[in-house]
Amino acid sequence: MSDPGKPDPASPPAPAVASSAEAPEPTASTAPVSLPDLALRSIGSAVAIVDPATWQILFENGLFFEWFGPEAEADVPLASRMEGLDLEALSAKLEKGRRYTWETEVTSGARTVTTEVEVRRLRHDERELLLVEARNISKRKEAEYLLDSYSRMAEKNARDLQREKERAEKLLLNIMPRAVYEELRDYGSTTPQRFESASVLLLDFVGFTDMAIANDPTSTIAELNDIFSAFDRIVELYGCERLKTMGDAYMAVSGLPEANPDHAVNLAKVALRMRRYIERRNAAHPEAWRCRIGLHSGPIIGSVVGVQKYVYDIFGPGVNMAARMETLADPMQIVMSEATWMLVRDEFACTDLGEVEVKGFGTQRIYSLDAEASGRFA
Amino acid sequence: MSQTIFERYGGFAAVRKIVSTFYEYCLEDEVMAPYFADVDMRRQIDHQSKFISAVMGGPASYSDDHLQRVHARLGITHEAFLVMAGLFKEAMEDHDMANPDVAAVMREVVSREHLVVSA
Repeated sequence: MSDPGKPDPASPPAPAVASSAEAPEPTASTAPVSLPDLALRSIGSAVAIVDPATWQILFENGLFFEWFGPEAEADVPLASRMEGLDLEALSAKLEKGRRYTWETEVTSGARTVTTEVEVRRLRHDERELLLVEARNISKRKEAEYLLDSYSRMAEKNARDLQREKERAEKLLLNIMPRAVYEELRDYGSTTPQRFESASVLLLDFVGFTDMAIANDPTSTIAELNDIFSAFDRIVELYGCERLKTMGDAYMAVSGLPEANPDHAVNLAKVALRMRRYIERRNAAHPEAWRCRIGLHSGPIIGSVVGVQKYVYDIFGPGVNMAARMETLADPMQIVMSEATWMLVRDEFACTDLGEVEVKGFGTQRIYSLDAEASGRFA
Repeated sequence: MSQTIFERYGGFAAVRKIVSTFYEYCLEDEVMAPYFADVDMRRQIDHQSKFISAVMGGPASYSDDHLQRVHARLGITHEAFLVMAGLFKEAMEDHDMANPDVAAVMREVVSREHLVVSA
């Protein structure tokens, strides 16, 4: 850009001691104008030369006067004419050999214009001066505003998406163990896993179908929901897992997916508390629910089944055995296989129910689970 | 839940300003300027904004591998890295970031020196 430090002497507001409140324009058309001066006057930037010692404006072009003109006629130093100018910050920046810039709004006619003002050092005839240059950056500000607003929207969408992802993850974690979920997420499939020692609980209600027909089915289901929700809390309390419900049947496991040496004991405690919950509930409600519970312990295979509709399920003869135990139970009785009994007999009061023929398993000795050894649930 | 630096300063809008100031300083600096002689600054600023967003805990999009790959042939010296770090710190301070946050970002940046310096 042209060196405004040495404007033509013919220019009206020549580098005099200070600029005057008189705008240079009125005389511009009549006085002869040099080319550098014409350029300086027509340029789209506001330019001023300032004496850093006194902060007096030594020269300013027309636009500078228009944008940053003094309110009164008196000669006023730079800072009082430019809003947002921090002399301390300016000195600090110049000290470091940097330019100092800030943004400020000025009125130009009826419009408000955002300008970026830049101050930098200038030497002229052994004299330290400051060049103050202001540019209209309204267009840039509009683009920046657009960009920032758009990125805020994108950031918000990303956050929403993340929340949604966490919600989906939480839902999936409700239907499958975390380890299995992570395998499914990372590899797209899972491998069935064999758990050498685990326990299965199966619970069913006596005459549920008849209950639903005899009464209002909606309220029956609502009651079932209450009961199952209570079971969920009991199961969680003892570190077991609710696997699934099928109609009025409820299945819980212990010892998978994380091995747990106390799987049988924990699940036995769950069984007793489920029965007690039903007893308590029946005492307070007109509708009496009666359950059968079967328990079995042994090797179990756990796996996700399905591609779109994931179900984490368990397989193996052990699962069938638990189901058989459940069908052998009388209403409000807990029946367990010998395998489970072996694991819990020291801590619970049990009754030998003798040998029975179990479909698919031959002759088996079965036991009822009556109470904890302390007798708390007698 | 504690917010990330990225979120506290207003997300990408803040990063953009800091990075823009940073490159102004780089191009004025005699040590730094030669490295950018043939660089398309638009893309450079774009990449840097994403990198700094990631460092501040914003949406991550840069791996250390990537960082190393793009700097490998530039022959960047330890001295140039220090100058860069100083200018970047100044840019953050210019945009009124609090000292602990500046320090936290600087730790992240400085810890990657070995990925960037190759001469």
